[in-house]
Amino acid sequence: MDLFKNNKVINWHDHVWLDDKGNLDERRLELTIKAAYDTYMDLIVSSLPVLKGNPTPEEFRHCNDVQYQAIKKHPNMMKGMAFINPGYVKESLEEIDRCINEFGFLGIKLYNQYHISNPVVRDVIEKCIKLDIPILEHAAKLNYKPELQPFTSNGEHFAKVASLYPEGVFIHAHIGGGGDWQWTLKAIEEFPNIYLDISGSVCDEGIIEAANSYIGSKRLLFGTDMSFSSSIGKMLGADISYEDKVEILNNKKFEKYLMRRGI
Amino acid sequence: MIIDVNTYLGHWPFRKIKYNQAQTLSKHLDNKQVDLACVSSINSIFYKDTQQGNIELSEEIKDYKNKFIPFAIINPSYAGWKKDFIYCIEELKMKGLELYPYYHDYKLTDENSIELINLATEMNIPIHLPCAVENIRQKHWLDTNKNLSLEELDQVLAVCENTKFIVSNGSSHEIAEYLIERKKLKNNNVYFDFARVEIFNDDLYKLIDTVSADNVVFGSVSPFQYIEPQLVKLQYLTIKDIDKIKSDNIKKLLNL
Repeated sequence: MDLFKNNKVINWHDHVWLDDKGNLDERRLELTIKAAYDTYMDLIVSSLPVLKGNPTPEEFRHCNDVQYQAIKKHPNMMKGMAFINPGYVKESLEEIDRCINEFGFLGIKLYNQYHISNPVVRDVIEKCIKLDIPILEHAAKLNYKPELQPFTSNGEHFAKVASLYPEGVFIHAHIGGGGDWQWTLKAIEEFPNIYLDISGSVCDEGIIEAANSYIGSKRLLFGTDMSFSSSIGKMLGADISYEDKVEILNNKKFEKYLMRRGI
Repeated sequence: MIIDVNTYLGHWPFRKIKYNQAQTLSKHLDNKQVDLACVSSINSIFYKDTQQGNIELSEEIKDYKNKFIPFAIINPSYAGWKKDFIYCIEELKMKGLELYPYYHDYKLTDENSIELINLATEMNIPIHLPCAVENIRQKHWLDTNKNLSLEELDQVLAVCENTKFIVSNGSSHEIAEYLIERKKLKNNNVYFDFARVEIFNDDLYKLIDTVSADNVVFGSVSPFQYIEPQLVKLQYLTIKDIDKIKSDNIKKLLNL
């Protein structure tokens, strides 16, 4: 664990969750925070997305309120990404302002309600560009049929939107999230404003080496997405240079989002 | 000492795999402080006649007997399975039987399957049941759509109460709970690895609480997966019986 102990580690992808009563699941939060401290992380960037259906503004505002509640419990370890449903354009734009200005969140989190290339999402993307904040989007190229999440974005959806908005900062979530990671790397390779987090439970030998080879460490971000041992193990086991690993653990391009919040 | 219950050698048709030869995997395991590894032939999963892969494996590891413990892959729906299995155990000195019903298109509950499992039990050979090889969500379009069937496992446990099973590369904590609810783990005859069980959310502790440290073993799925995620779990696992999990349980199971 010396790699983690001796370097700054920013975890750009993890979550808090609601309990059965719709409140902050404090047990899971505390396990996550303990894991972060135990594994020498400096910061977790977290969100609370709704995984199924088409959440209303009331629902996504509640998610962000709960995320902020978690941050207030652990202000030195956790920051937030605002979850919104871009189908509710006006309410989403208002919610982004609320989360960025009042809660100090660092960016936004989109889930599987719309492909990121869907024109519905464009007002939200333009808002993020105006605010200069990153967009983390749930993503995968799933080869398993039937498709359980038909509106999950894949690398080609990212490529479309990245070429349409070259000034946007798009984070393709979890290369280890269970999809065809080789396909994904080829799909996003040529788009310098698509970044990729390494989180997820899939820890295939070679996945980090391939990601580093296709898009380079400067476009890779460390994350866990609840799979701490897999994500940490991938970093420890990858046959890439120490300098590349250090860059992934604390991507310099993303430091500005932290610095403006005094981190 | 670490003994790995789940490694492979051979050619995987859907993705280039590093360290898939005895020499390279042996060195790789050495580098990760894995002392011994149960190993089977990827080729046996794909050859129609699995025995050709078993014989290849035996030849491949002949100079690495201090590193690898060979397991036979047998398809009980393919002619000659009984003779092949006996040959693997008696002549090739294989120590375990590994089954892939979801690749070889049979059910664990088929008559021949039960007969093979009972024969292995009579010969004091444990049955290794990997839940999958690669994660199904990234599967190649020609790869199987299935994983190990828990319903079939449940039914087999009911009729093979004295057989020793190793279940690997799946959600072991959930599988163990499923089997406990059905009263199928009363003989302590099922062992689980933790390749796909997280420690930092307590799932690994749940698994150990459910089946006890006497029935948990180390499995890495190397060379398909990095070994380090499993080593991280060992590093953070705070139980006094950790040596059982690292090596003692599998030593006892395989009479090493």
